[in-house]
Amino acid sequence: MSETCACLGCNVGATVPDFTLETYEPSKGDFGEISLETLKKNKKWTILFFYPADFTFV
Amino acid sequence: MGAEVLTVSRDTKFVHLAWQREEKQLANVKYPMGSDTTGKLAKMFGVYDDATGLSLRGTFIISPEGKLMNAEVNYYNMGRNIDELIRKFKANLHLAKFTAEGCPAKWTDEGDKTLKPSAKLVGRVHEALSK
Repeated sequence: MSETCACLGCNVGATVPDFTLETYEPSKGDFGEISLETLKKNKKWTILFFYPADFTFV
Repeated sequence: MGAEVLTVSRDTKFVHLAWQREEKQLANVKYPMGSDTTGKLAKMFGVYDDATGLSLRGTFIISPEGKLMNAEVNYYNMGRNIDELIRKFKANLHLAKFTAEGCPAKWTDEGDKTLKPSAKLVGRVHEALSK
């Protein structure tokens, strides 16, 4: 059985749609927000690092 | 090195605050810790696990133009090697500057041999890398 993968993870080379996330920023000790739009405006490379859950291991 | 690192899990920003404060391994964390409570971003990147509602261990490198350049996804119990991530990031920076080059498998840093694809190189990669 095979499924067509429409997700980005399988589409290296695709343009990433804009996204916004609420954040905790340790450097400021405060909450904030980050968006891909702002990162692109600041000409930054972005490394997005997903992990299952806080207070776990590995 | 100028990249914006953004970690993401389904925990709320409040749990991120508590975790960063408690776990000594995270004491030097300076990057934003993103909160994807609905799982929408995890689904967009294909790392959302329906069975658990958690995200798998995915790392994605996005260029300043918004193009997805690299994707690595591991199952829960396998950590990602940060040296490899740094290697890939440096390769991305190099290739963004030298668009006609290629970084071969053993490339790790500026100064290492790269490949310059051309008709002359066809069938001669071994010689090019052994010089």
